[in-house]
Amino acid sequence: MRGILFAILGGAFITFQGVANARISQDLGTWQAAALTQCTGFVVALLVLLAFKDGHPRQFKRVKPLYLAGGSFAAIVIFSNVKAIELVGVTFSTSSVLIAQLLVTFLIDSFGWFGLPKQQMKLPQFIGIGMMIAGVVVMGWR
Amino acid sequence: MLMGLLFSIVAGALVGLQNIFNSKVNEHTGSWMTTTLVLGLGFAASLLLGVVFEGGEMFRLNMSSMQTWYWFSGIIGVGVVTCVVQGVRRLGPTFAISIVLITQLVTAMIWDTMGWLGLEKVPFSWNKLAGVLILIGGILVFKLGGRNAKTTEKVHIHDSI
Repeated sequence: MRGILFAILGGAFITFQGVANARISQDLGTWQAAALTQCTGFVVALLVLLAFKDGHPRQFKRVKPLYLAGGSFAAIVIFSNVKAIELVGVTFSTSSVLIAQLLVTFLIDSFGWFGLPKQQMKLPQFIGIGMMIAGVVVMGWR
Repeated sequence: MLMGLLFSIVAGALVGLQNIFNSKVNEHTGSWMTTTLVLGLGFAASLLLGVVFEGGEMFRLNMSSMQTWYWFSGIIGVGVVTCVVQGVRRLGPTFAISIVLITQLVTAMIWDTMGWLGLEKVPFSWNKLAGVLILIGGILVFKLGGRNAKTTEKVHIHDSI
């Protein structure tokens, strides 16, 4: 039960984060908003890290540099997400973001890129993606 | 409409890629270590791109338009990580991430309809509700429809969206 609550809160926070970035962008500009939220988020995460002393900093050496660089994508992610919210609203942008996200993850899975174990797309995944795209089309219908 | 879709696709594709990279970092270093790194790099990249595209304008902040809560918006990201990690730990990735995605959509629709935080209101419509319901059905079929336990689903939605 508590797990469900956490998951629901997690999803709500993700939407809230996108909206907050869009709102701050109206006043400060988009790159400024992206820099500000991540700077303050970084400080808080660092404090949590120091408080719980959780993690293994020496292990960073064992991760490929390419994977370490993943965090920098967030700049473009936030910028694009804010622009999308401004242009088409929160619902439509969230829907399209989710589809692209799931599609990329499953492409990578099916080809076994980045050293992930290869996994075959099965019929339910194709039907699922099809339904999701149909949902966005219905949404955009005028 | 088209531009909005294009921006969404760029964001979604990069989030998908980033989740995979982040989970690789996470396997070795732990979730708070990863979160700190991810946010720190995201900050550096935003600063850099801001300067590239806007030059000195990047630092000409109009402090009078700065509301107090803007300073605390970064905490939301920390809330995201905490909740998603806890959810996944208790429910397993497939079930937890399904709930996360569905809640994202439902709250998005509520937000559009209410126009909270002074965001432009996008009025509720029945076809939007129908679209969201079909989409949620698609997520459930996609996530719960027979597939082996997956590694990439150990995602930590560390960031951004």
